[in-house]
Amino acid sequence: MSNTANRARILYHLVRADFLERVRRYSFLLTLGISIYLGYASVTGRLAMRFNDSRGIFNSAWIGGQMALISATFLSLAGFYVVKNTIERDRLTRVGEILASTPMSKTLYVMGKAISNFVVLAAMVGILAIAGIIMQFWHAEDPHVDLWKLLAPFLLIALPAMAVVASIAVLFETIPGLRGGFGNVVYFFIWSLALALPISTAEKSGGYSFDWSGLSVIWDSLRNAANVPRDHSSFSLSIESASQTHSGVTFLWNGVQWTAGVVLARLFWFLVAIAFAFLAALLFDRFDPAKGGLRRAAPARMPIPADQPENGPLVKPTYATVSLTPIRTRQEHFRFGAILLAELRLLLKGQKWWWYAVAVGLIAGCAAAPDASARGMLLACAWFWPILIWSKMGVREIRDQTSQLIFSAPHPLARQLPAVWLAAVLLALITGSGFGGRLLFAGDWRGLLAWLIGALFIPALALTLGVWSGSSKLFEIIYTLLWYIGPMHATLQLDFMGSAPETPHTLIPAFYFVLAAAMIAVAFLGRKRQLQT
Amino acid sequence: MKLLIDGVGKQYSGKLWGLRGLRLELGPGVVGLLGPNGAGKSTLMRILATVTRASEGRVLWNDSDIAQSPDTLRAVLGYLPQDFGVYPHLTASEFLEYMAAVKGLDPNSARQRIDELLAVVNLAEARDRALGGFSGGMKQRVGIAQALLNDPQMLIVDEPTAGLDPEERARFRNLLSELSGERIVIFSTHIVSDIEAIATDIAILGGGRLLAHAPPEDLLRAVEGKVWEWVIPSAEMPVAKQEFLISASARRSDGVHIRIVATERPGFGAVLAVPTLEDAYLHCISSQRTSAIA
Repeated sequence: MSNTANRARILYHLVRADFLERVRRYSFLLTLGISIYLGYASVTGRLAMRFNDSRGIFNSAWIGGQMALISATFLSLAGFYVVKNTIERDRLTRVGEILASTPMSKTLYVMGKAISNFVVLAAMVGILAIAGIIMQFWHAEDPHVDLWKLLAPFLLIALPAMAVVASIAVLFETIPGLRGGFGNVVYFFIWSLALALPISTAEKSGGYSFDWSGLSVIWDSLRNAANVPRDHSSFSLSIESASQTHSGVTFLWNGVQWTAGVVLARLFWFLVAIAFAFLAALLFDRFDPAKGGLRRAAPARMPIPADQPENGPLVKPTYATVSLTPIRTRQEHFRFGAILLAELRLLLKGQKWWWYAVAVGLIAGCAAAPDASARGMLLACAWFWPILIWSKMGVREIRDQTSQLIFSAPHPLARQLPAVWLAAVLLALITGSGFGGRLLFAGDWRGLLAWLIGALFIPALALTLGVWSGSSKLFEIIYTLLWYIGPMHATLQLDFMGSAPETPHTLIPAFYFVLAAAMIAVAFLGRKRQLQT
Repeated sequence: MKLLIDGVGKQYSGKLWGLRGLRLELGPGVVGLLGPNGAGKSTLMRILATVTRASEGRVLWNDSDIAQSPDTLRAVLGYLPQDFGVYPHLTASEFLEYMAAVKGLDPNSARQRIDELLAVVNLAEARDRALGGFSGGMKQRVGIAQALLNDPQMLIVDEPTAGLDPEERARFRNLLSELSGERIVIFSTHIVSDIEAIATDIAILGGGRLLAHAPPEDLLRAVEGKVWEWVIPSAEMPVAKQEFLISASARRSDGVHIRIVATERPGFGAVLAVPTLEDAYLHCISSQRTSAIA
């Protein structure tokens, strides 16, 4: 067999094994669930594309365009988190060490993983394509299905975008700093920036740059069809009610004119994806533990006893009689403080000095900022800073394989779990103390209560999502979204921190208090379930 | 101090039974739990350690059902699982302090106990180093130390010598032997030599069922007159392997010295040998397989 054929065979089996391993896991149901939900939301009109506040008649072109854009925007976020675990899985299962000992090159391995990611994302896009066909029959505004007009946007808009996401996911996994929770948070900001960038450059310079999502292809086509200048057109992809979807003006759009230039511009993103994969291959550590993210000390070499020279004659080992002080009294009253401190210590262990420096800076900033809005913004930052600490709650025992040790200790449900939560609440109170202190000194009791509820809510959310998902990822994604839309963009309903001056005067803190209590109960149920398996 | 395992079974998904109808009564001493891979040893250990629940039957610790009130046992339990992890950023002593707090030990007793245990498991020098840099054997010794933190009345150790070098294995056996006085120690392994010196009782599991439970002397008595030593030419070895249950073999200048467990003399020149626990164990496992095939 030639080298090329052999490499192709290896690549095929790598992609196949990885894909089968993914689809046979329960988590793949989540993947399907995301696609099916997006498809359902589109079919029923909850997720709609609009141009100048009107929408196109539901023909193949409009539906294909809308669905492809949904893929390129929403799936590029959710899909990244779905696929960013392929190398991690090989690392955790230790299959990676076996693979590393084979002649397979780093490039081949990383390419295989990127292709496997792409196949999973393409499957998600495929579900949306099927939903698109259903959608056309559902709305029945144009009974004629034009397969090319329906599917071309999937092939030329959605799939190149998915290829880029697939490669970036692998790239993140090969960079130690981006492999974990920090990478999950960083991607969210990269994603939001990458979606906004082509629009803002178009507004400034009139031309698109870095339009990986294909937004401009649809927008330009719509603008040309409507004969509207760019600065007089607005374009949105939004969640709305079914009645909104059927209201308003409709127009006929016959789809994108797929000129050679447009097609080549879209195919270019496949090349970008390949470039990212090559970069990932360069950075990939080939499962060498010495190059891992965690700085491991060299395996310890036990000191040689003084009476046994290293190269001298062997001395028969002697075993001293074991002398252990018996524990005569077993405690009647459990010291909750001891376990709380132990959990707090565990929570903060491994943080570098600069983490504490930034936390102190944010506390001081909150305490010193004269303006209430600025203070609120600083509180949002102070309560975003420990996100990677909170995200380990409820997950640590599984991730570090200590569950059998912890769960066989007395009262794991009544003592250890509350201690985990309260330690995290303490961390929230400390990191948010600059804001809370100001409220206390000002005698703003309503504000203080809202702030306190925020300190209870965040750890409750982290613990519940951690216990039930068994992964840090879900909290990192959901909390970042909540934080970004809520406190950072002053969306009052999502201001769970009480950071906006008007929040304490609404029922919003009461809502988050009830939600926190409910989530704690759900976390307890989840842990109880883990204990009873 | 009494542990009663009464008709315990564990069913996994797909109607597969990992353990079935197990009955054992244990008192102070070291019980060696032997069995081939997949015999149900780790499943039983997890049930006894309250980590998982039995699908049928019950386990009574001093007449209290551990499924109903697991914390009664957990307060006096030391458990070393077969596969376990540690928190990589904590040092050995910090990890033990954490485990002591989780087990509800008062800080003063815990500190003293940790110092002593780190010395006992030969990790005093490495106590302030992050566990992430520990070798497999060193992590195993941290696991042994955490299991002994609360001076347990019942100590469950599942394959505890895995990953230990010969010197550390001997040290661990010595430690267990000295600790075994007034407590129940359940020591699961498939390495017979690990327990033959210290076990007061042996329980042999096979195919999820209890095949034997007796003192080592009784098990040895059962194979008396059934263990043979025989020297055969190397060319006859493949045939001997097919015909007999061979518990050991060694090539020498005069041929292959083999040790056979059989009710009748296997051939001319075979002489009776003093049975070992390994012979008794193989005999028991082989009898179960023969009856299962029949």
